[in-house]
Amino acid sequence: MHVIETQNLYKEYTQKFSKQKVNALNDFTFNVEQGEIFGLLGPNGAGKTTLIKILLAITFPTNGSAKLFGTDVKNHRAKTKVGYLPENHKFPSYLTGEQVLKYYGQLSGMSAGTDMNKRIDEMLGMMNLTQWRNTKIKKYSKGMMQKLGLAQSMLSDPDLIFLDEPTDGVDPIGRKEIRDILAQIKSRGKTIFLNSHLLSEVEMICDRVAILNKGDLIKEGNVDDLTKAENIFAIHTVDALTMDVKQKVLAIDGNAGIGEKEINTEAGIDKLNSIIDSLRSDGVKIQTVNQKTSTLEELFINVIKKDNTN
Amino acid sequence: MLTIIQNTFREALAKKIFIGYYIFYAIVILIMIFLVNMDSVEGVMSLADSKMLVHQVETGFLTISWNLIIFFSLISTASFIPSMLEKGTIDLLISKPISRPMILISKYLGAVLFVFLSMVFLMGSIWLILSLKSGYWDPTFLLSILWLTLAFAVMYSIVVIIGLTTQSTVVAILVNFFLIFVLCPLLSVREAVIFSLVTNETVQFVFDFLYYLFPKPGEFRDITTSLINSEQINMWKSSANAETGTFTISWLSPISSVLFLLVTMAYSIYYFAKKDY
Repeated sequence: MHVIETQNLYKEYTQKFSKQKVNALNDFTFNVEQGEIFGLLGPNGAGKTTLIKILLAITFPTNGSAKLFGTDVKNHRAKTKVGYLPENHKFPSYLTGEQVLKYYGQLSGMSAGTDMNKRIDEMLGMMNLTQWRNTKIKKYSKGMMQKLGLAQSMLSDPDLIFLDEPTDGVDPIGRKEIRDILAQIKSRGKTIFLNSHLLSEVEMICDRVAILNKGDLIKEGNVDDLTKAENIFAIHTVDALTMDVKQKVLAIDGNAGIGEKEINTEAGIDKLNSIIDSLRSDGVKIQTVNQKTSTLEELFINVIKKDNTN
Repeated sequence: MLTIIQNTFREALAKKIFIGYYIFYAIVILIMIFLVNMDSVEGVMSLADSKMLVHQVETGFLTISWNLIIFFSLISTASFIPSMLEKGTIDLLISKPISRPMILISKYLGAVLFVFLSMVFLMGSIWLILSLKSGYWDPTFLLSILWLTLAFAVMYSIVVIIGLTTQSTVVAILVNFFLIFVLCPLLSVREAVIFSLVTNETVQFVFDFLYYLFPKPGEFRDITTSLINSEQINMWKSSANAETGTFTISWLSPISSVLFLLVTMAYSIYYFAKKDY
């Protein structure tokens, strides 16, 4: 059973004044497995928040189906084991930090009592908010509110947590703390569905990502696989390459980039092997052969650009 | 459900308007204490006189303050639905394992319960003052707590539906003001006033239709005062006696208002359950 499962999700909005139809999601099918940290990427208006809202039945799909833990999201019981931190969440300002956690804990199905109080203590401690527990949240800073939101999403110890921009407004130290907390949650077999604009952060945290553009799923896969640049290899040698060796390499791949102790080729795995054979036959000692990688940010920009051109 | 009701109470208590609401009630209670002292009720009247005076004071008080109390109660609770629908609040609420109808019903009941307790405070205090001063202890006046709460519940269903569709507290208050102070009183005197000016049957039918369609908060007051004064209440049709100058209210008014409440709330629940947020 998948933790999240969608089948041909399609969402169409009608714009308020122009009455124009806008496709927020097109034929979106994907799954998320238990224990994964899944990242959702895409430019503004790509359909990321719409997808999360459909998965939590905050918005309804025009077509298609979505399930959480095998239960259709239209059934509110599907959300029993789910935590959610919305982007720009708004808690009742008349409550204290502790009261906020109690309120949302009870709405999540927790019973008021020792267990919940213990869990609240634990969460407030984890977020360094213990000394602020009895302060009205209207006095909280943006970062504190974000941490309280995260505590709220984790309070009932859910098996799946949706986080929409969890580090928004949090300082670098706070971000690091949140990343560590997410890693800790993951180590306990929980699933995290993350929507973030901070690509470096997603790259650090996520196992798998999906890239959305204009409602279409344009790329999906493991972060490591996606960031490996296809067919781009770098060969580093121990000694400087002679002119004769360089000529032989260029004979194999005319576009190869050759430095003093480095050869870069984009000609594919067969030509890479031919170049290595040639170097070996000339007695050149090879130090390393690496497949080049790109950052998630580079991948994201390239993929979006390509999709927009198409 | 209890969690949402409890939070609705907290929301009400956190609002500044709540303080104004209770200052208003405290003033009303003080005025009652002052008025009863002025009348020197203590010890000098017979029980029959006391009974008549108490009923007159109770009826007079309800006649003057009924619509105002309902309107103040609506003002103090009108923002509950729009504030619940704010972005960042509603998302979080719906993401919890509670059905949407349950969320809306809990919010509605929270407001009604809040007003019920306020009525217990206000009407209970007034009853206590009158009873202590007169020595006449008749609990019938306490029925006004239930009838006022029911009248509020009917009118609050309009706040709910307007809040859901427009997300505006101001629009909800304005519509209720128009209904309580203009349209409903006008429709309730349609036979005596409007029909004497307009003889066209179609127009009269439209006015009759509107009368039965819309809630009748003022007629809840008439039912309450009739009960206090042990007056007759007709089953289906109100009647006026020209010779004695008396008017007899019917149970149809509260029944049709409660039907209005049920239909309005049913539509609100349906709307809320289907809406994208």
